[in-house]
Amino acid sequence: MKRIPALCLAIAIALTVLAVQAPAQGKNFFMYVGTYTGFKYIHHSKPFGLGESHSKGIYVSRFNAATGQLSEPELAAEMINPSFLTISPNHRFLYAVSEDPLSVGPPLDHSSYVSAFAIDSTTGKLRRLNTVPASGTSTCHISMDKTGKYVMVANFGSGSVSVIRVKEDGSLGELTAFIQDIGHSVNPSIQTEAHAHSIVVSPDNRYAIVSDLGLDKVLIFQFDAETGKLSPPGPPFATVYPGGGPRHFIFDPSGKFGYQLSEMSGIVDVYAWDSTKGTLATVQRAHTIPHDFFGENHSAEIEIHPNGKFLYESNRRTVSEFVRGIETVGVFAIDPKDGTLSPVEQTPTGGAMPRNFKIDPTGAYLMTANELSNNIVVFKIDSNTGRLTKTGTEIKVDTPVCIQFVPTDK
Amino acid sequence: MKPFRCFARLAFLIIIFVPCAWSAPASGEYFVYFGTYTGFTYMKEGLPAGGSHSQGIYVSRFQPATGDVSKPELAGEIVNPAFLAVHPNQRFLYVATEDPLSLGPDYDHASYVSAFAIDPATGKLRLLNTLPTGGTSTCYLSIDKSGRYVLMANFGSSSVTVLRINEDGSLGEQTAFMKHIGKGKDPSFQSKSHPHSIDVSPDNRYAVVSDLGVDKLFVYRFDAATGALSPDDPPFITAEAGGGPRHFVFDSAGKFGYALKEMSGFVTTLAWDPSTGTFTKVQDAKTLAPDFIGSSDSAEIAIHPNGKFLYESNRRFRGPNLWGPDTIGVFAINPEKGTLSEVEQVPPGGTMPRNFGIDPTGSYLFSANELTGNVVLFRVDSNTGRLTQTNTELKIDVPVCIVFVPTNK
Repeated sequence: MKRIPALCLAIAIALTVLAVQAPAQGKNFFMYVGTYTGFKYIHHSKPFGLGESHSKGIYVSRFNAATGQLSEPELAAEMINPSFLTISPNHRFLYAVSEDPLSVGPPLDHSSYVSAFAIDSTTGKLRRLNTVPASGTSTCHISMDKTGKYVMVANFGSGSVSVIRVKEDGSLGELTAFIQDIGHSVNPSIQTEAHAHSIVVSPDNRYAIVSDLGLDKVLIFQFDAETGKLSPPGPPFATVYPGGGPRHFIFDPSGKFGYQLSEMSGIVDVYAWDSTKGTLATVQRAHTIPHDFFGENHSAEIEIHPNGKFLYESNRRTVSEFVRGIETVGVFAIDPKDGTLSPVEQTPTGGAMPRNFKIDPTGAYLMTANELSNNIVVFKIDSNTGRLTKTGTEIKVDTPVCIQFVPTDK
Repeated sequence: MKPFRCFARLAFLIIIFVPCAWSAPASGEYFVYFGTYTGFTYMKEGLPAGGSHSQGIYVSRFQPATGDVSKPELAGEIVNPAFLAVHPNQRFLYVATEDPLSLGPDYDHASYVSAFAIDPATGKLRLLNTLPTGGTSTCYLSIDKSGRYVLMANFGSSSVTVLRINEDGSLGEQTAFMKHIGKGKDPSFQSKSHPHSIDVSPDNRYAVVSDLGVDKLFVYRFDAATGALSPDDPPFITAEAGGGPRHFVFDSAGKFGYALKEMSGFVTTLAWDPSTGTFTKVQDAKTLAPDFIGSSDSAEIAIHPNGKFLYESNRRFRGPNLWGPDTIGVFAINPEKGTLSEVEQVPPGGTMPRNFGIDPTGSYLFSANELTGNVVLFRVDSNTGRLTQTNTELKIDVPVCIVFVPTNK
């Protein structure tokens, strides 16, 4: 008698989990592309290639995940330096940071801004709802909590993170949390002060992970989705190899493991995530730079395939001031038991300076955003081996630095 | 003819008496609010020192006609209410919660700003909401002339921020954020920018920021429609190296600005051109006696409501455990040139006068002595500017800010 309801419950939970994990039903998406509009790239907090970007803001393409086809990109919204984008869980709103490093330098540093846009579900065009200061400078990353009630931004320049409330209509409201990181690490050229580079919530929405490139720390804040607050101010943290420069962090779909990509070392630190205690315990330090590479490495983006079996990370490499290295997306297989990584391949990205890439929500394709060569290149993913194959599809977007997908099928 | 003559006479009377309109509220009763540090006694080189038994913001009733002040009561419990500002409608009080206990490696706490509704009968404060200031060690806040924005100086994180005030007095979204970069001459206090105050101009079109860390006064254009700040042209004027601009005040006519420098103790008179938003330096007035050896640690600056006198406080320090002689400096203002001439330097009746307040009728000055935990009343002679200490003294632990609000009597 007692077992039947328990079984029903178990089935219900299993079905719920399956429903959550199942890939999106539809195959049609808007693909949004964030860009730099004022320059080509940033190195050590300074913009280079001033005036050489002809981008005007955020672009949108239609993407078919059955065929891998991408339409010609169109301007979706005019905006200055939309360097990172995030989509609301209900797919109705897009949030973008306006990173403004053109203004860096004594005696004044301008604020970066965050803008809210409503997505036109027919045309993909963006209608600006409002814009508020990010409460920091050189804001380089934005994400949302799981409820869609808060956006979180990492302010690289001023070394802080901010949480901003999202109103019912999708517009941005008041600041609910502000944390200033303090400290430094070993690299005198970039780690003399805190540089928060990303902020993401845990799968249960109870924690926020902040990767601070300046401190070589992965900070673990408690997140209160009722109030939007982060605590405590001096949170526990995980460390990376000194000088590594933590940039982006991702949880695996099971919520058991966390992966921290460090920009300078190119190392992916694998951590076991204890969601009850909110701790990250080091499991593995996986290297992504080939042993025979001599030059400067700046790893950029990290993603996990929706099937949870493969991890991808992009690497921007230079051999000298004049010669770029072989720039790749590294493919790694994830051990399902202990979360460790083993290398599968390093795939050239089909362009220069792959600051960002994105796997489409169905897991069929990966797009590289090559900032310097102004192209987005489509790769087919083998979901059994994780390997990438160039499809031949490529679109031109000036200075692309972020990709996000929004499903369009009803 | 007659009506015209009446009108002319009226106009004449207005011209004569409008500048003296400050004397109108002489009869009313006021609430006096005292901000305090609740966690320590004072800040020394960015670190807190000493203890405090204060629990937040205190309130007394004050009769400017007699100088009577009631015993202070706790009006609102709150951590480190270091600076207070009253809304132009006198119904709301805004408070910066400075949290320097958390200063230093590896993490720096956010400071917070709280909005309170003032109970006009009791003076008690009802919390409306609390938001992050968007910075750390927020040491100053002010309200724009429209009452729709609160402007804050974040000493610790080198920024200034502006937040919207909602219709109900609560705080809304951030409308401006500016970060300053650089350093000054003095390595112990000026290793980076430290904005110490932000005030709007009389016409509400500009905001002036004193930056103690970089020895600059920044001028921003302020857009009261959006709450945005944008750099003026030129974006700043430079003070003497190592001076440490701390607080700034416009004169009531809006013709001159006065910048108080914490370390040098100079008060600089600046001629203000509101059409272009530019300052021209007129005079550096010294507040320190030439034979004084030590640091001035000048703190607060205010102008008498009659516009004739300027007051500034000095927390002097001659070495470890050698405080004083602390003073409140009194200066007469030349009405044409804006220049200052010293009237006197008066002991504040305690140690470390971080703040003082002149009541809105101009009859009394209250000195807030942080280290001795007392607030002392001085009678102000509105003809000479001179201060005479009264016997009225309030005991308040670690008082650091004083503001006045008319009661409903």
